[in-house]
Amino acid sequence: MSTGIGARVKRKEDKRFTTGKGKYTDDIRNDNQAYAAFVRSTHAHANIKGIDASAALAMDGVIEVLDGHQLTGDGIGNIICGWAVTSKDGSPMNMGAWSALATSKARYVGDAIAVVIAETQAQARIAAEAVVVDYEELPAIAHVMKAMAEDAPNIHENAPGNLIYDWELGDEALADAGLASATHITTLDLTNNRLSPNPMEPRVAIATYDDAEEHYTLHTTSQNPHVARLLLSAFYQVAPENKLRVIAPDVGGGFGAKIYVYPEEITCLWASMRTNRSIKWTSDRSEAFLTDAHGRDHVTTAKMGFDDNHKIVGFKVDTVANLGAYMSLFSSSVPTYLYATLLSGQYNIQNLHCNVRTYYTNTVPVDAYRGAGRPEATYVMERMMETAARELDMDPAELRRINFIQTFPHQTPMLMAYDAGDFPKILEMAQDAADIAGFAARKTEAAGRGKLRGIGYSTFIEACGLAPSQAAGSLGAGVGLWESAEVRVNPVGSIEILTGSHSHGQGHETTFAQIVADRFDIPIESVSIVHGDTDKVQFGMGTYGSRSAPVGMSAVVKAMDKVEAKVKKIAAHTLEAAEEDIVIEGGQVKVAGTDKAMGWHEVGLAAYIAHNLPEGMEPGLKETAFFDPVNFSFPSGAFICEVEVDPDTGVTEIIKFTAADDFGTIINPMIVEGQVHGGVTQGIGQALLEQVVYDDDGQLLTGSYMDYTMPRAADIPFFDVSHHETPSPNNPLGVKGCGEAGAIGSPPAVINAITDAIGNNNLAMPATPQAVWRAIQATKSVAAE
Amino acid sequence: MTTVNMTVNGKAVSGNIPDNTLLSEFLRENLRLTGTHIGCDTSQCGACVVHINGMPVKSCSTLAVSLDGAEVLTIEGLTKGGKDAELHPMQVAFNDNHGLQCGFCTPGMIMTGIDMVKRYKAEGKDLTSDAIRAELEGNICRCTGYHNIVKSIEDAATKM
Amino acid sequence: MDMTGEYRIAAARDVVWAALNDAEVLKACIPGCQELEKTSDTEMTALVVLKIGPVKAKFKGAVELVNINAPEGYTIQGEGTGGIAGYAKGSADVALAADGDETVLTFTANANVGGKIAQLGSRLIDSTAKKLANKFFDNFHKHLSNEGPEET
Repeated sequence: MSTGIGARVKRKEDKRFTTGKGKYTDDIRNDNQAYAAFVRSTHAHANIKGIDASAALAMDGVIEVLDGHQLTGDGIGNIICGWAVTSKDGSPMNMGAWSALATSKARYVGDAIAVVIAETQAQARIAAEAVVVDYEELPAIAHVMKAMAEDAPNIHENAPGNLIYDWELGDEALADAGLASATHITTLDLTNNRLSPNPMEPRVAIATYDDAEEHYTLHTTSQNPHVARLLLSAFYQVAPENKLRVIAPDVGGGFGAKIYVYPEEITCLWASMRTNRSIKWTSDRSEAFLTDAHGRDHVTTAKMGFDDNHKIVGFKVDTVANLGAYMSLFSSSVPTYLYATLLSGQYNIQNLHCNVRTYYTNTVPVDAYRGAGRPEATYVMERMMETAARELDMDPAELRRINFIQTFPHQTPMLMAYDAGDFPKILEMAQDAADIAGFAARKTEAAGRGKLRGIGYSTFIEACGLAPSQAAGSLGAGVGLWESAEVRVNPVGSIEILTGSHSHGQGHETTFAQIVADRFDIPIESVSIVHGDTDKVQFGMGTYGSRSAPVGMSAVVKAMDKVEAKVKKIAAHTLEAAEEDIVIEGGQVKVAGTDKAMGWHEVGLAAYIAHNLPEGMEPGLKETAFFDPVNFSFPSGAFICEVEVDPDTGVTEIIKFTAADDFGTIINPMIVEGQVHGGVTQGIGQALLEQVVYDDDGQLLTGSYMDYTMPRAADIPFFDVSHHETPSPNNPLGVKGCGEAGAIGSPPAVINAITDAIGNNNLAMPATPQAVWRAIQATKSVAAE
Repeated sequence: MTTVNMTVNGKAVSGNIPDNTLLSEFLRENLRLTGTHIGCDTSQCGACVVHINGMPVKSCSTLAVSLDGAEVLTIEGLTKGGKDAELHPMQVAFNDNHGLQCGFCTPGMIMTGIDMVKRYKAEGKDLTSDAIRAELEGNICRCTGYHNIVKSIEDAATKM
Repeated sequence: MDMTGEYRIAAARDVVWAALNDAEVLKACIPGCQELEKTSDTEMTALVVLKIGPVKAKFKGAVELVNINAPEGYTIQGEGTGGIAGYAKGSADVALAADGDETVLTFTANANVGGKIAQLGSRLIDSTAKKLANKFFDNFHKHLSNEGPEET
């Protein structure tokens, strides 16, 4: 059976996970293990007047209680946002100070104030309860629309009016002129509900200081251990990079929440040095709800104008985004460069403008969650298109088709240059798979059973493969977004791939091995993937933004190019042939058209034995490459959701969900489909179930799975997933990335379907049975008037 | 502190543990059987499901000292281990059908899946995909969208 | 959420008022109250055990009597912290109206919580607060009904 590119290879990593032998961070326990528990603010906004740890220090097993004054006193730096966004008046964003342990003021419920170190986890947690914090309570802001009020309390001194930045993209005069010329204008007010990412494995950090070497090791649940090391060294001043090893072993899902370095990792590293013990902190689920960065939380007004031919002639978007109490690592880029840049969607729109204001509130920091900005853009775009089609009394697919971009490359007015795609084709594929022709009959049949049946579209594009370093830098990114790889061919011919990408469910141990087995025509069993350890892999930017295939795999391909060149030189030399006549196939390195050949392993051996290498060639067979993409990649898709609503209860059942995607070249369809299933499910969760709720005082009310509704098996249908491949011209494999598409494209498809079913467009996410039932009643009362 | 004796994965074990020790803690910390995972603190996610005397139980909600004399089966006990050890059909099915991604919920899914297949077979009932979805009420997965988990359990049911 | 209630107590208004100002009576009537010590005429420190949903915690705090308008009523307010469990605050406006030999007690109470109690028990706060408020005035009513005759 083929194990190359395009094959449905079963995952190599599964055996350890299905037998309970996975090694997650919490499974590690060091010999001199001590445990940390954090004292967290119970107030959303309060001055810290004093901390009394005397009772805690006297308790059984307590080793130490440390606070923010000690932390800053030891020179530990503030947590930073790594992407500078400039306001439209030219002023820099207002980044407030964020200490890993708050010193004078707590700014959200859960803000870490002190840490208790004890011999056991239970002792640490009990003692943390005994630490008395003297609070002076301050008025709090829980909702972003209240942050801008004249009399709103001030959260960070350097952010007057709680404004972080007021930013724009596009040409407002053009957009206004376009709207003025329009014969029809669609206007919508939209809220993108606040979500908690909820990887099933909570965050864990184990910090171990070695006093003899003055060296630190951090085992942590990270999507990007090298980025963590860079931040911990260069910015948080924990230790120089050569004295800090960061290991992210098996990680149980990330979805963005595990990109960032949080206060807990910093504090554990520092506390490990202070106590000369290995310090372990394991988040529980309540702590995860309280402290993992949340996602979304936008409030938007959008206006779209159409001409007589139903072409979009102007589009204006005004968005307010909540960034929480502090600016998390990528927080600034999510509602700007990952959002407004995609507001052209799959459509040819020339007159486009977006204004974004972001504010502080007394809530958990908000940052990238699966899709990051692109789901918010798609929600605006696709709710607008569906609404406009209804207002214009048009087939929603036809309105989209009229406005589709048809030729590539296509430069939008929002910075992006789309490279390849075939939007009409994927829409047609989705329509065929969803049996649009049969919908009217199904609707009638459902009506006979007293059910309301509806259908909704979402045709979307995303910018993935983050990111061309120079372009990212020019937009304010603090780092380059390339990836690195090393290909190590061993003397026996087996291969280790060292990659800066990190797998926390994506199946890299299989897909990365596939591209190597494919290239060198060797058994996939001879290829191993090494990742997640800064001592083993030289560098890497990690996994997020659907970048592992387009950027990470491309680095592997570049390194394989170098390996292949050297292999051919060695073989040509040994076999006394010309390099250009050497071919690699069937486990052999051959002279084409002859029976002269070396085994793949013999070339490896020759390289290391080095008895007979070409003049001047270095021994060994190991190559490194860095790949910096020249452009983003642009996966696109067409989703169709068909629902049935029970008008008596407001319960929505998703009858069918159809996804047709263009991910460019597909390495392993089985894994790609799995990514779509999971992404769409998170989008359905956003559309129907999930919502982080704070009360007006900033208390988090959804702090467990009893109150935050996760999608469960019975909420979700089987999916119909298909693919059309237009390869990306911007990387050697033609891949585009598939991790986020499902979460990006699905929420508007679901809401468009429900609003179609109930005949009321005024429905916000999450469309809970209560919300849907109310919308149905509102329709009825309007009809009755 | 109480001394508790039980059989875990066919082996007699004992421990002198605080009375408030949860079975999940006893398995993970005392026996170092770390395949049983803790994904929440409110008995909702099901990553910690094990079998006690043949019944599926959330080990995060069970006191270890209450299990004196019990037979406990964890994910580690489904196969003998070793290089060529045969895997349980449910484990094979999860691999065949891509029923896992990050793997964190997987042990609980597999233990729940095995129980449901056995129970439906014993009762002579048809384990439809709808039934599987309903039976998975107590198990949360954030990666797979359940599609391939349901397929895996359907597949295993034909082989168990 | 504001909670309201009304009790008819078989005791004169002065007696009811005296009881409302008696720390021993309050201690006996506040649900879960383990300690209540007077630090001044209007201030007390308290230790109360509260259970809301899955969270059970000891709250240490202060109870204060304000808006005193003897013998027609006052506002009793309390605030306590329960360590990692969070905090709870509540107050009740109590009004006494004489009706012959009897007294009609009406109250309007509200409660607020924060921290872990809010995260895990938010669904239950309104109902719990209502239950606690009713329990207090119920206890108070019973206390006076039992002891009333002896005092008069």
